Amino acid sequence: MREKMKKKYKLVMKVPKTPKRAYNHNRFISSLIEHQIKHFSEVEKSLLKPGQKLTDISKIKTELHASKYLKKMTARLHPQGAGKTKMVAQPSNAKKAAKRKTKRKLVKRKSR
Amino acid sequence: MPAGLDNLKHIVVLMMENRSFDHMLGGLKKDYSKINGLTGNESNPDVNGTIVPVQANAKFQGQLDHDPDHHFPGVDLQIFGGTAPGPGRVANMQGFIKSYATQGSDINASHAIMSYFAPKSLPVLTKLATEYALFNGWFSSIPGPTICNRAFAHYGTSFGNVDMNLFYIQDPILSIYERMVKAGHTAKIYYYDQQSSTMEIVNLLKNQPQIFGSYSQFVADCKGNTLPEYSFIEPCYNDHPGPGGGQILASDQHPDHNVQEGEVLIANTYNAIRTNQALWETTALLVVYDEHGGLYDHVVPPACQSDGYSASADKTGTGAPFNFDRLGIRVPAILVSPYIPRGTVVPGTEDSSGLIFEHACIPGTVTNFFLKNYDQRTVREKNSRNFLTPLTDTLRHDDDCWVFDV
Repeated sequence: MREKMKKKYKLVMKVPKTPKRAYNHNRFISSLIEHQIKHFSEVEKSLLKPGQKLTDISKIKTELHASKYLKKMTARLHPQGAGKTKMVAQPSNAKKAAKRKTKRKLVKRKSR
Repeated sequence: MPAGLDNLKHIVVLMMENRSFDHMLGGLKKDYSKINGLTGNESNPDVNGTIVPVQANAKFQGQLDHDPDHHFPGVDLQIFGGTAPGPGRVANMQGFIKSYATQGSDINASHAIMSYFAPKSLPVLTKLATEYALFNGWFSSIPGPTICNRAFAHYGTSFGNVDMNLFYIQDPILSIYERMVKAGHTAKIYYYDQQSSTMEIVNLLKNQPQIFGSYSQFVADCKGNTLPEYSFIEPCYNDHPGPGGGQILASDQHPDHNVQEGEVLIANTYNAIRTNQALWETTALLVVYDEHGGLYDHVVPPACQSDGYSASADKTGTGAPFNFDRLGIRVPAILVSPYIPRGTVVPGTEDSSGLIFEHACIPGTVTNFFLKNYDQRTVREKNSRNFLTPLTDTLRHDDDCWVFDV
């Protein structure tokens, strides 16, 4: 990628990668995310149909919990937003699994 | 009109979270004397009265795990050093450590609020600030937290709100996106992804989902020449799993999220525009922070024109009402375009002819540029500064503009 860029552009600057250890979805939510959740809960309340139960947002403690609730609510209001997202890191297990999958595909193709 | 404005077809705003000007860019003053950053002599007293100077020891993560206070009373303490509201009190920017110490951090930990990044630690922000236009005098709109400050970027006002609570838009003021769309123009808010979502929930996402897109759509729109005339980008606000077992990191730079991931987002956003030549030559990108996040800045926020609202003493939490007649603490703001000469610095309060910017300038400039005469907005927004003035007649050669290898 860098070589391709260097061929096309004269001034190319490498951006340091974020270390994988930066990731922590068990981090407790900040006041900002807490309020984001509260605002979504108001919307959920206004959309509630008879018999439906409001999500208990007091159980949302971590960023992982928050992201699940935000996804649920955002998908409801804006389903078009479900798209590919660029990942910054692949945990080693997922990488291995992806490699195994590619290998299997190659073997299948060869056996045809 | 300069050629840079004649050729301008797109304005993109990327609004990051919670970092002050001095914390991110203050270290640039040493090599760029026009930048109103830090001399190294700026200081604050701690709770024992020990004078603590600013220090270039900011860390990407782990240093501010108690989110520094940036709610209205906390910012009041930071600006006025603890003097209670009353006639004649003077803003001195001496209450930052005192404020952070109230959050349970020990005395040594409270000194972290005076930390700033050495320019080499933030290569992307530093590169953009020194290659394009840096505003010495861009302030958050309210000495308070995120939601009310972001409201100024969307509506030119927070409708009297100084906190994180729900607010509802009031007639006749429309968001900048509704104004654009109603007049036959195009505008979008791009949130990062559904797991991160937006901070503009009740007024916009609920009622006007059609003006939203995801960050991956922004990148696709840049590639496919389908970028709207006005785009507002929200960073990723939380860490969460990605598809296929991957990991998505928060890129908002809100303490205590990793600052480097914000650098990656800024670089990716710049690249998305920069690597499409037609788009690059017709787009201005503003990278700006919503508020200072409780972190030290040495510049006293100036007075400003009120937006006609008032927050009562019980809302501000300081014992005094607030008439929206003083700005919040200074934040980084960088305008990028190939029509901007390298090393442009827009002077601020340090210069008697300097210019003051704040988030109402965002809908103000976008409205004036695309819609020309538009009346249904606050006087404050109408009178706000045009942030496109750094664009000139001269298009920089392609070989003279950087690309990031992310």
